Amino acid sequence: MENESKGSSAEVRILQNGPIMIKGTFSFKDSSGKITTGEQELYLCRCGGSASKPWCDGTHNKIGVPD
Amino acid sequence: MDKKDKKYTNGEITVFWKPAKCIHATTCYRELIEVFNPRKRPWVNMDGASTEEIIRVVRLCPTQALSFQYNKDIETEKPREENNAEVRVMEDGPVIITGNFVIYDTDGKQISHKKMTSLCRCGNSNDLPYCDGMHRKTGFTGK
Repeated sequence: MENESKGSSAEVRILQNGPIMIKGTFSFKDSSGKITTGEQELYLCRCGGSASKPWCDGTHNKIGVPD
Repeated sequence: MDKKDKKYTNGEITVFWKPAKCIHATTCYRELIEVFNPRKRPWVNMDGASTEEIIRVVRLCPTQALSFQYNKDIETEKPREENNAEVRVMEDGPVIITGNFVIYDTDGKQISHKKMTSLCRCGNSNDLPYCDGMHRKTGFTGK
């Protein structure tokens, strides 16, 4: 890939009526302090209603996400 | 360094304070009011606790508004690598993204940003997609 020489970078997308998508090569630290690094793709809950926070579990389809 | 940036030392370490980066997470003064007291001037009292305790709380700062260096390293240490993209989930709070990243809104349009952004996780912000501190009023829990 052409981007490899750029090192660590992340693409963040606020998905309409959905979660925050983050993909790329970056470090991720959860609220307990656990860190994961390297290439990853994550979907973070943005509606506040997920049962498996910080991850999106699709609950926004039931309760909606304000824009 | 911003003109408003400040530094405080106890002879062993220096704590750097960058007000432009602060999102008022309140972690520092909830943890160590003897050192970090926003009602006092100067608001940082380096004699209020041990060096180890100050370092522990500075490391809890979610936004790098507070940082520190050992005085013996200040002249020799290389500038910190700030380009790496970093995503941090705050307990009962927003997700903070710093470093090298691009961000797109719900229409797929790139949003301009500075070195960091703080995104709402509770769904109640009046400034979506950004955090405006509303999670504290609504009692949002990240669990």
